[in-house]
Amino acid sequence: MGFTSQDDLINQITTNGKIEPVVYQKTSVAVGQAGHWQHLLNSVGSVPAATFGGSEATFTATDNTWSEGVIPIGDQTDPATKHILSMGAGVVAAAGAPWFILPIDLVGYAKLTTTNVSTTGTKTITMTPISNTAAKVDRYANGEGLRLFIASYAAMGANAPTMQVTYTNSAGTTGKVTTAGCVSTASATSGTILNSGNAANKYGPFLPLAAGDTGVKDIESVIWGGTAHASGSVFVGLCKPLCMPIPVPATGLYNMVDFVNTLPSLPRLKNGANVTFLVFGTGATTAAATVYANFDYGWGG
Amino acid sequence: MAGFRNLAQWAAAPDNGRWHLTTFRKAVASAATVANDFIDYTYFAGNPPANFYASAPLEAATVEGSRGIHVPQVASQYLKRLTVMSAASSATATTSQNQRLLLADYLLYYPFVDTDAVGEQQDMVQSAALPRYATGAGVQIMAVAQSASSTVGTFTVSYTNQDGVAGRVSDVTYTKVVAGGGTLVSSTIAAVTGSQPFIQLQAGDSGVRSIESVTFSAAGGGLLCLALVKPLYHFVSTQECRRTTTGNLESYGAASQFETVLHGPPVEIKQGAVLGIIGLGNAGSLASSVLTGILETTWSQ
Repeated sequence: MGFTSQDDLINQITTNGKIEPVVYQKTSVAVGQAGHWQHLLNSVGSVPAATFGGSEATFTATDNTWSEGVIPIGDQTDPATKHILSMGAGVVAAAGAPWFILPIDLVGYAKLTTTNVSTTGTKTITMTPISNTAAKVDRYANGEGLRLFIASYAAMGANAPTMQVTYTNSAGTTGKVTTAGCVSTASATSGTILNSGNAANKYGPFLPLAAGDTGVKDIESVIWGGTAHASGSVFVGLCKPLCMPIPVPATGLYNMVDFVNTLPSLPRLKNGANVTFLVFGTGATTAAATVYANFDYGWGG
Repeated sequence: MAGFRNLAQWAAAPDNGRWHLTTFRKAVASAATVANDFIDYTYFAGNPPANFYASAPLEAATVEGSRGIHVPQVASQYLKRLTVMSAASSATATTSQNQRLLLADYLLYYPFVDTDAVGEQQDMVQSAALPRYATGAGVQIMAVAQSASSTVGTFTVSYTNQDGVAGRVSDVTYTKVVAGGGTLVSSTIAAVTGSQPFIQLQAGDSGVRSIESVTFSAAGGGLLCLALVKPLYHFVSTQECRRTTTGNLESYGAASQFETVLHGPPVEIKQGAVLGIIGLGNAGSLASSVLTGILETTWSQ
């Protein structure tokens, strides 16, 4: 359960100490491209740079025990539910403002490298569909609310193929397909979300699901069309956006959102959550930009 | 139309996957715009791509879905939150501050009206009808420049109103001198000064179903498009975002965030909506500034 009232919230966090702060900081691995979203998973910082281990074209589940580095959010509150109380963010970079910083819970990824990137066609993904159990990978039952994106974790070669993901939706219907015509980004920098961008047939931060779908239970395949990327390494990310993106108007400024008083939201932070952040840069964001974020979460029970 | 029964249902929708967020980024062209003139952000490059109203002259056409801010194909969704920032055109420019903005559903347009055809009745071809808001109730006419124009013209529009009555005639409207396409050239009635985003309809009318013709009584020296839109949500952008590069280095900027359930009506966005924004800068030219933001929608079932 969450909180029964404002009085309960105050009592839980002051009398019972049921509140934890989280601090996150990254130094971006490469230039963030104008009008694109960027992930910071392979950037160095207070959470180490991920290397995306795991088998090729196979879904790797990630949670708060992911060996490649996570924000330390324990499961100490179970069965009480955790909720984000406030969140703030800032960016220090010579160029690229204004920015948006979006917190997500990365449920897992499937990586594609070498010929799975440099050739077109259907690349089958091996994945056990998300179910409705107590397992951490099932923390969003049947994938309800989950979204997809395709991102680079190495510099990409020339060409911008079209890309679609086939998936099973949260209702269990197989063979659903994201919007046709979405194009990747040629020669994208490492860390770029390839479906986002500043042109036609770009969608950010997430690939549009088929009409009426509200989640993703299983990633079935990636379909590359047109002319393949000359090279590069990518992953298909499966995530739950957690709350509203934090706007950052200019370098060095810090914005904080109060999720208790300003909005009727108190976004849920599931047990097992692997929280990370995506960054949207209006302009080209200087490499080695410092991105920092923090949030407080509390729980009742 | 399935709305929300209460605040709890509204707040729970994101956890149930019934929440969509998307980025938009529109860069105004380098041709100077005039303070207190409205501009049509859809006309400019970025994501979504530019909407130049390019089709056969005087023939009704629907605005392509890809030209609008992407929203999912849901039978009935509502604007949840709108967050916007304006990137200044340079480190010292302050002219994109304090913009009055309006989100609208772009429906139908009649392109390439010759503003020099004085005395000629330019008849429209009804090759398409309103795709949404079929009666025309609440639908308004925007006159968008499709070229530079050299002088101040005057014109009237003959249209069918929201009750299906043909032959209704607008008030006499002045055009403006503009340096390029994308400015709304309709001014306040009876004077060229001031700006009015929509053409003043005949007394008693509240909407437009179709346009039959347009007649100029004084030449405007350019081309314009008459676009039919449904105004949805008024909002603002306050301080421009920038960082000085000489003297005392300082960051400026602000984000404007509107949670519709708190700050205004959670307006319905109809299935197939083509969302665009018009804006009025009161501090000078908006040339080369960038309007960036995130639009979020939610639905109940």
